[in-house]
Amino acid sequence: MTSKLGLLLRLAVIRPRFAIGYLIVITMTLLAIFAPVIAPYSPTEADSASFLQPPSAAHLFGTDNVGMDIFSRSIYAPRIDLTIAILGTLLSAVVGSSIGAVVGFYSSGRGIRVWLSFAIMRAADVLQAFPVFVFAIALVASLGQSIQTVVLAIAFVNAPIYLRLMRSQVLTIRSMRYVEASQVNGLSDMQTIMRHVIPNAMAPVLAQLSVNIGWGILLTAALSFVGAGVRAPTPEWGSMIAMGFQNVVTGQWWPSMFPGAMLAITVFGFSLVGASIEVVADPAKRRQLLSEARERTARTADAPVREG
Amino acid sequence: MGAAEVISKTENVSGDAGKAPLIDIRNLRITFPSGGAEPKTVLKGINLSVQPGEIVGLVGESGAGKTTLARSILGVPPAPGRIAAGEVHFEGRQILSLSEAELRRLRGRRLSVVVPNPRAELNPLRKVGDQIASMAKIHLNVSRKEARRMALQMLRDVQIPDPERRMDAYPHELSGGMAQRVVIAMALICNPAFVISDDATSGLDVTVQAQILALLAKLAAEHGSAMLFITRDVGITAHFCDRIAVLFSGEIVEIAPREALFLEPAHPYTLMLLAAFSHSPKLRDSWSVPETARRRELAAGCQYADRCPIAQAVCRTHRPPFAEVSPGHFARCHFPVRHA
Amino acid sequence: MRILAYLAKRLVFVIPQLLGIVLVSFLLVKSIPGDPAVLMLGPTATPSAIAALREQLGLDQPLYMQFLIYVRNLLHGDLGTSWQTTRPVLEDLLQRFPATLELVTFSLLLAILVGVTLGVYAARNPRGWVARVSDLYGLSAGALPDFWFALVLIFVFYTVLGWAPAPLGRIDMIVIPPIPVTGILTIDALLAGDPEAFWSACSHLALPVLTLGLLNAGPILKITQSTMETMLESDFSRYEVLCGVPQNLVVRHALRNALPSIVTIISVLYGFLIGGAVLVEIVFSWGGAGQYAVQGVLNSDIYPVLGFVLFSAIFSLIVYIAVDLVYFLLDPRISN
Repeated sequence: MTSKLGLLLRLAVIRPRFAIGYLIVITMTLLAIFAPVIAPYSPTEADSASFLQPPSAAHLFGTDNVGMDIFSRSIYAPRIDLTIAILGTLLSAVVGSSIGAVVGFYSSGRGIRVWLSFAIMRAADVLQAFPVFVFAIALVASLGQSIQTVVLAIAFVNAPIYLRLMRSQVLTIRSMRYVEASQVNGLSDMQTIMRHVIPNAMAPVLAQLSVNIGWGILLTAALSFVGAGVRAPTPEWGSMIAMGFQNVVTGQWWPSMFPGAMLAITVFGFSLVGASIEVVADPAKRRQLLSEARERTARTADAPVREG
Repeated sequence: MGAAEVISKTENVSGDAGKAPLIDIRNLRITFPSGGAEPKTVLKGINLSVQPGEIVGLVGESGAGKTTLARSILGVPPAPGRIAAGEVHFEGRQILSLSEAELRRLRGRRLSVVVPNPRAELNPLRKVGDQIASMAKIHLNVSRKEARRMALQMLRDVQIPDPERRMDAYPHELSGGMAQRVVIAMALICNPAFVISDDATSGLDVTVQAQILALLAKLAAEHGSAMLFITRDVGITAHFCDRIAVLFSGEIVEIAPREALFLEPAHPYTLMLLAAFSHSPKLRDSWSVPETARRRELAAGCQYADRCPIAQAVCRTHRPPFAEVSPGHFARCHFPVRHA
Repeated sequence: MRILAYLAKRLVFVIPQLLGIVLVSFLLVKSIPGDPAVLMLGPTATPSAIAALREQLGLDQPLYMQFLIYVRNLLHGDLGTSWQTTRPVLEDLLQRFPATLELVTFSLLLAILVGVTLGVYAARNPRGWVARVSDLYGLSAGALPDFWFALVLIFVFYTVLGWAPAPLGRIDMIVIPPIPVTGILTIDALLAGDPEAFWSACSHLALPVLTLGLLNAGPILKITQSTMETMLESDFSRYEVLCGVPQNLVVRHALRNALPSIVTIISVLYGFLIGGAVLVEIVFSWGGAGQYAVQGVLNSDIYPVLGFVLFSAIFSLIVYIAVDLVYFLLDPRISN
């Protein structure tokens, strides 16, 4: 795993955009943690005397239609958005991968186990056939509007992805010789999973995690935008965009634009990180990038030598 | 130093020094980028010329650089190869310095190639008749109808049974032999001056191979095309090549008129080749090089030194010259085999 | 004949899945708190009136009976009634679905145009600047929230430049909409020979189509690029180069061979967009099916939601079957 981390760092050098991805994710995390220190105003208290002020020195991002400071709210927002997205994604990864691993082991067995795994796969088909947003919003409506429900909705929507990913990992690895050997040697299914499946599945799951955290943030913001997620005045990008909606049409762009830009940049950062992990996980892509890097260093290294 | 005096003035070898060659390959070097800073040289300065109407055989084991040579002559070395040096003179022009557009107009029109494994090379989603006809349409600027007529005629010429029906067949519906005939039809439809057959029959049954080769030679003669006939099988070349070159590890180690090569091979490698094919099929196995031996390349000495039964110390330190052992017969060896 | 057998096999797999979708959405929507009978009759209703309505709606039956009744009604083409509009859901959806379909179809066409063009150019020169730009484009298009991007476009093209009409529906209020035939305004306007309505509909389509088209071109771009790279490196493309086929023609043939993958991703995207256009519909007050479903969820109006889910599932199904037919046309090897 350490060598892979080293590889990630080298990739960040070869492709600056990966470095940008890490920078964005780290910055947003730091903002979330240190928001109380950085924010010049309270994120929830309105100064009704100064509403809809354009960006200025006093209000970096301006104020919204009730007079709350948009800059302060924007940097408080990752606290809620990131937390919801990370929790929801982790939940889906844990639940989805566990079921997926079990299904992978059962699908080649006999009797009720096969039927069970078959049924689970068909259920995953059904879940994935739903329009994602309508499904999520229906979940929120039926379970009641709260942060926990949004977390659950994200988990539900993404779980089939991990289920499939882990199942195919298990199936591939099971078909390999060394796992057969380890089963002959008397390792239990659980031990096989711990020893062979999880280390191999780590990279693709991590890549997927990063991408899904991005989607989770988008889904949280989207639910809040239609009023089914986090409610104002809790600082959250989606509900902030919704609050500024009417103002945009009449020309006051800042209440919606700044939180939206923060949201977009954050999701972009997570997809970049996901893409970089994907490169590390994919041997072919990795080779291509590294050879490109070698070519580059070779070119710069031997240029003066050739002249001499 | 005695051997050095025998170096011919020019290493450019042709069958008949009097006539201008149709195609003249000079010092062609192809390199592949490798992991290290130094690229790997796959063709180490190939010199070869072919007279109009002549059929030259090129024999080599897999990995010798045969396909690389075939494609580099057309200006498209297999990726990620690069033409590092060399010239290819064809019909009075150095074609490797032509623009891509000019070179493209030559490919398939004046210089064409018959590829091996044609079922993978033909576009799986296009009818073979269309693929043949499009060669005529692209290069000869004929109408669609005329191109189809020509394609049908070519299918007849390559003796495909039921040619009218085959026009509308897709590649996957053809047998390997039929697909090979289709590729030959594509190579010859524009009456090229020069055809390269790149191991064209390697995937086929022995009987089918013989038929196809006979057909190829006959059609090349009818179209007045010269041919470079690349193969792994030295036995095949005996039937219809005028001259034969032997490629080993990216360089030509021997070239001779057919009779001279078969009766008086000068290079130990050629001798071994002939022995393997004429005596025992088992010997063929010894023909393939162990991976470690193939990787080892001697920077200074003879490429064959590691495998050569008569190698001396000088073979490992000095590159042998390409010396003329008899008129038109050259070999790159410090100790060419003498025949009484 | 082979096509028919293939389709039959496909249907055998799909019908249980459709049933599953209906069941899950039924259970899900059923668990939404709030009694439709109370909501329909209002707070002043008498308990007896509520009980009567509950009986009439079948709400007094056990859950599985309610489901069976719903499925039986479905088979008769009865998707239930929306208490918000007090109209049959089927009628409501038939009226709104074309709006969504029009939006999504035009968006998809734009996404195909952008994605396939960029993808082909990027594949022709994998290390060129187009490839770099499309790489970045693919990543960033997926990261932009569509509802926010729509707002940006509204701000620029409506508020500042004044080029686009106000984001309020599908046609200018002062323009009389054409007589509905297909429900798709642009087509209806053309059928009615009404250029004014046609241009009004087009100008209203511009921004939402731009939003959805640009943001969803990413997957098409990615698939086109990677498939085209494979095709251009394949034996048959190299052979065409050896045969002196002009590069444009080589690329065109390679694209033809890459089409099955591209068509697949387009079909997946088409199905996804029917439900995925909801937020953009809301921003532009589009009045489409997705917006209708979201209203349903937020107001405990279950049948519109069920109806929408069913409609989009069936729509995806139709698209997938169409794609299977396209495969047969595209690849002669499949029919073997």
